This record gives sequence, C-alpha cells and structure tokens, in this order.
Amino acid sequence: MDELELLKKDWDKSKKNYPNLSKEEIYNLISKRSSSIVKWIFIISVLEFSLWTILSFSLDSSNNAIEKIQSYDYEFIYYPFVGISYIVLFGFMYLFYKNYRNISVTENTKMLMERILKTRKTVKQYVIYNITFMYLGIILGVIMELSNNSETQILISDIKSEGENGIYIFYLIVAVLSLIAMALITILFLGFYYLIYGLLLKRLKINYKELKKIVELE
Amino acid sequence: MKSDSEHNFVELLQKHQNIVHKICRIYSDNEHSHKDLFQEISIQLWKAFPKFRGDSKFSTWMYRVGLNTAITLYRKSLRTIKSQPIESVAYKLSYQDYDDTKDQQLKLIYAAVKKLNDIDKGIVFLYLESKNYKEISDTLGISEVNARVRMNRIKTKLKTQLNA
Repeated sequence: MDELELLKKDWDKSKKNYPNLSKEEIYNLISKRSSSIVKWIFIISVLEFSLWTILSFSLDSSNNAIEKIQSYDYEFIYYPFVGISYIVLFGFMYLFYKNYRNISVTENTKMLMERILKTRKTVKQYVIYNITFMYLGIILGVIMELSNNSETQILISDIKSEGENGIYIFYLIVAVLSLIAMALITILFLGFYYLIYGLLLKRLKINYKELKKIVELE
Repeated sequence: MKSDSEHNFVELLQKHQNIVHKICRIYSDNEHSHKDLFQEISIQLWKAFPKFRGDSKFSTWMYRVGLNTAITLYRKSLRTIKSQPIESVAYKLSYQDYDDTKDQQLKLIYAAVKKLNDIDKGIVFLYLESKNYKEISDTLGISEVNARVRMNRIKTKLKTQLNA
C-alpha cells in the first residue's frame, strides 16, 4: 500500500484528537501579540528620541562656551538659538508620541503599514534636523571667533598689514577647516545613525515587509 | 476594544481551528512549537482578516494564510536551527513524545514527512485534507503541473527513505 494512503487513513481517523480552544482563549492569543508589537514600536521611538537628546545635552553642557559667549556679547543670538533648538526638540518629542498613539489605535494592516512608514520618516527628519543644526552651530561659532576673539583679531590685522591677498588665503583656510569639521560631524552622525537607527529602522522595514506580504497574500 | 469584526473573526476561527491545529501538526515537532505556531497563524489570520471579503470560503482562505505563515516561519527556523545545533537535538528527543501514533510504520512515515521541505510538507498536508491538485496549486500558489510533479517526487522520496 502507498505510504501516503496509509498516512491519510490515520489522518482521517485522528480528526478528533486536536485541542479545542475557547473563543476567549483565541481572543487572548490575538490581542496579546498585537499589543506587544505596538509596545515594541513605541520603545524604539523612545529609544531613538532619548539617544539624540542625550547626545545634544552632552554637547551643550560645556560651561566654558557659555562664558565665552557672554564675554563676546553674543547672548542675543545664543539664547534664541538654544531656545529654538529646544522648541524643535519638544516638537519632535510630540511627533514621536503622536506616532505611537496613532499606531496603538491602528485597526488594520494597511493603516499600520502607513504609520510605520510615517514613523520612519519622522526619525529621518529628526536626524537631518540634528545635522543641519550642527552645521548652523559651527558657522555661528566660526563667525563669533573671527569677529570677537582678541587673538584672532590680532592675527587678522597682522595678515592685513602684510598685503591684500593674505587675508583671502586666511579666510579660505578657515572655510576649508570649517567644511572639514562639518564633514567629520556628518560622518559621526551618520555613523551613529546607521549603528542605532539603521538597525531599528531595518527591523521596522522587516515588519513592514511582512505586513505587506500578508496583504498581498489575500 | 472588541469590535464586531473581531467577534466575527474569533467565532469563525474557533469553529475552524482544527485546520490550524492540523497545519501545526505537520510543521511542528513538539507541543511547544505547536502552540507557538498556532498563535502565530492566529495572529496572521487576524491581521489579514480585514482583507477577507468572503470571495472564497473562510476555511479555504485559512488554508492559504495558515500554510503561508507556517512556510515562512519554517524558513526562519531553519536558519535558527543551523546556528543552534543543541536545540535541534532537543527537538528530536521530545518529538517521539509529541507524536502519539502507536503504529511503528506510521511513525516512520510521519518522521519522513517531517523531513520534507516546507512546500512539500504543504502538498502532503493538503493531500491529507483531501484537496485536489487544482486546490493544492491555488492554495500554495504553484502551478497544477508543478504540484503533480512534486507529488510524484514526494512519493519516491518517501519510498526510498522508508526502505533504506
């Protein structure tokens, strides 16, 4: 007799041996998992946010810089600059919260997919914002040093007394050094971005792809 | 938040849960993985449920989504087993307890079926569920010819394995 025939006979016979879950048990099975997915997405968002916040705080906290700024009379730029950065920071905090809220009330797969994409987009915008803000900080710092630092002032007047061309070369060097600093910061940020966010966003992407597969299945 | 559709879904799944249990029986080696797979399939069914419009029978749709989930998970677990050889040994040990079949020959056939690849397992499962080749090919998304060819190969494979 064919092996599969034998198997089929046994298969038909053992029909009644399977466990029988109640409706309540099935309901619990489904809801437990979908809420854990939501929680997981939220934890990632919080993690993403706090990492950047910690980083910005650690860069901001050098007291020397504040004293220097006060001595330069640049407070009128510095405080609005910092103020705006915190407003934007809180803005992003709100956006992350909103993403989380939206995801937790998602009812169907397509909506969840859209919201995963939106969350990914917010994170990317956040990283771009942070890098841009760093650039602005560098430009501001360079201008501040050039126009206020007494040592720099002496250097500039020395160069100027030696001839017209010297000052252009000096500014060119400053510009090149600033660009190098910007490039280094970009590499640092993007490296950080790929290490932490890249991994998290990849997980979100996998989740998104799995959802997409389920939608296409149907 | 228990919506109408959720009630409806749970009722349908409860009624047809045997299909999921049977898929689990083919694709899992022990009670623990049976439970895991059952939950995973239930979740995937629930996620896909908003798209189920009743064009096909609920049970037919369940075969499709359920088998696809099992196949996807099986592929994933293959990767894990490769990196964790100790665990796969543990599975094999408890496997005998999980299968309550008394007949020695049947045990061997079941064991041989479990050694088949994910798609072939699906074909055997649908065959055991008395599906014809048209239904098998529709459910697994392969051509009817391919289903027939695979079935012949499965038969040969089982014969050689069992007579070795």
